[in-house]
Amino acid sequence: MTRRKRDNRTAFFFILPWLIGFICFTCFPVGFMVRTSLTNRKLNGLSKFVGLANYRNMLKSSTFLNSLKVTIMFTIIMVIVTTIWAIIMALLLNRKQRLNGIFQFCYFLPSVIPSVALAYAFRTIFGKDAGLLNGLLGFFRGAPVSINWLYDKHTVYLVVFFITLFTYNTGQMMLIFRSGLSDVPAELYEASDLDGATNTQKFFSITLPMISPLVLFNAVNGCISALNGSFALLYPLTGESGDPNGKTQVLSLLIYKEAFSNMKVGYACALSVALFILAALFGIAIFAISKKTVYYEN
Amino acid sequence: MGIKSRKRSEEIVLYIIKVIVAVIMFTPIVWIVTGGFKTLTEFTTSGSIIPEKATLENFRYIFVNSDIWKYLRNTFILMFGTTLGTLVSSSLVAYPLARMEFRGKNLVFGIIIATMMIPNIALIIPQYIMFGKIGWLDSLLPMIVPAWFAYPYNTFLFRQFFRTIPRELDEAAIIDGCSRPQLFFKVLVPLTKPIYATIAVLSCVFWWNELTQPVFYINSDRWRTMTIALMTSYMYTGGNTFVINWASIMAAATLMIIPPMILYFCGSKYLVGGIKTTGLK
Repeated sequence: MTRRKRDNRTAFFFILPWLIGFICFTCFPVGFMVRTSLTNRKLNGLSKFVGLANYRNMLKSSTFLNSLKVTIMFTIIMVIVTTIWAIIMALLLNRKQRLNGIFQFCYFLPSVIPSVALAYAFRTIFGKDAGLLNGLLGFFRGAPVSINWLYDKHTVYLVVFFITLFTYNTGQMMLIFRSGLSDVPAELYEASDLDGATNTQKFFSITLPMISPLVLFNAVNGCISALNGSFALLYPLTGESGDPNGKTQVLSLLIYKEAFSNMKVGYACALSVALFILAALFGIAIFAISKKTVYYEN
Repeated sequence: MGIKSRKRSEEIVLYIIKVIVAVIMFTPIVWIVTGGFKTLTEFTTSGSIIPEKATLENFRYIFVNSDIWKYLRNTFILMFGTTLGTLVSSSLVAYPLARMEFRGKNLVFGIIIATMMIPNIALIIPQYIMFGKIGWLDSLLPMIVPAWFAYPYNTFLFRQFFRTIPRELDEAAIIDGCSRPQLFFKVLVPLTKPIYATIAVLSCVFWWNELTQPVFYINSDRWRTMTIALMTSYMYTGGNTFVINWASIMAAATLMIIPPMILYFCGSKYLVGGIKTTGLK
């Protein structure tokens, strides 16, 4: 046997675990999902072929359309907000000052604690009667404040996007930006100092272009984790119906509700197909945008 | 104002901003920990962050009134089962991708990158039905078993790291009569311990915190993990199902923060290093 052939065979055995996993836990579920989405399968397993009825119902359902809108909005705004916040924290930490280690600890620690603990902390911090925020506002105003931050349709997004600043993804992005910032050559800043550039000018014409590949990487990652992680954050925060009034009901919450509370597994599979397609579209969109804007150093 | 004093005031402003951001980021953690020491009455009537009269009652309550040891045991089984599995399988798969030439290599790598983009949650319902058919629901198996078949993301990390080790090493070992498996276990693994430690830390943090999959797959008390216990077991005070027992939830949440915090202190090198590797393509 030639070495090349032997290598092919050895490589195959090394790859085998992935191949089995890919077939059993990715390919098969995808096929099964599409097939089940064409049935009216219930949670107890009874099912009958119904053709495209689930998809027709889905497109007619105002709950689904609302959820689709919420998911797209949530994903886009969360990626933007958390990326900006991560850049701000990375810039702050990039300036060497005393106690930087402690600052990094404080900035990063919230991202490694369980999202359910975080959700409960914020449910009470933004609580109506004994919440920390209302308490603080009351203290400054001199009169009690009782805003129900999470159940008021005007404030709920404000609160939810604020909370996304504390998720794992934000901490991860911050660390990636930090390593990126320390790789920006100092000569570029020195040269611009001689030209009398302001800090803002330096940021937009040196720092941002230099870290743009990382911004792209983080945006891709951020999209996946917004689609994926929103369940673990919003389920303990606003419940499966996405209170108030479906305002925070992202697709993953709707899938859970349809499958387990309404026991319509076939319909939940149709929703999963929609989520799958949405994730693919986000991926394509980001790469299309990045082709125009990202600067790669050769 | 001279340049020097302008620089100095700039430094001070920056420092103040740093402190404010630190306070914002750390507030929820302080709120959780102090909340665990408040009485329920105080928690539900006052918005102050420092407990008036610290009590250990909540901690006693969760140890006496719930099977917390069982939930902890389940979480540890889940954490170690998945982490061990992903370390073994992902590194094996990453090896030929990083250091061998074989037919279909680009195709395999392409598929791995593409599957990294699929959100898990989109496939969880078909997987739920599938695991139901083979009788794995309400156990930790639907989470532990897939971990033994190489997660794309970890495979990608291993591959990136394996590529940094010079390939001449392999050539030399092969000339000495070393087989590929021997090469992997005796040469490469000992050389790449940091990436194993990194992925172990990241995986432990992930599974300690994981809520989504246990919520879907586990419905009885038997295999309940800490994250689900936090959502269900401490939710209500005994007898009264309308009062949420926030103080106990905060006490349990305090206990849940400790392991990730320890991992940060002991493994921050790996935690930070691993996350940075992901950014470097």
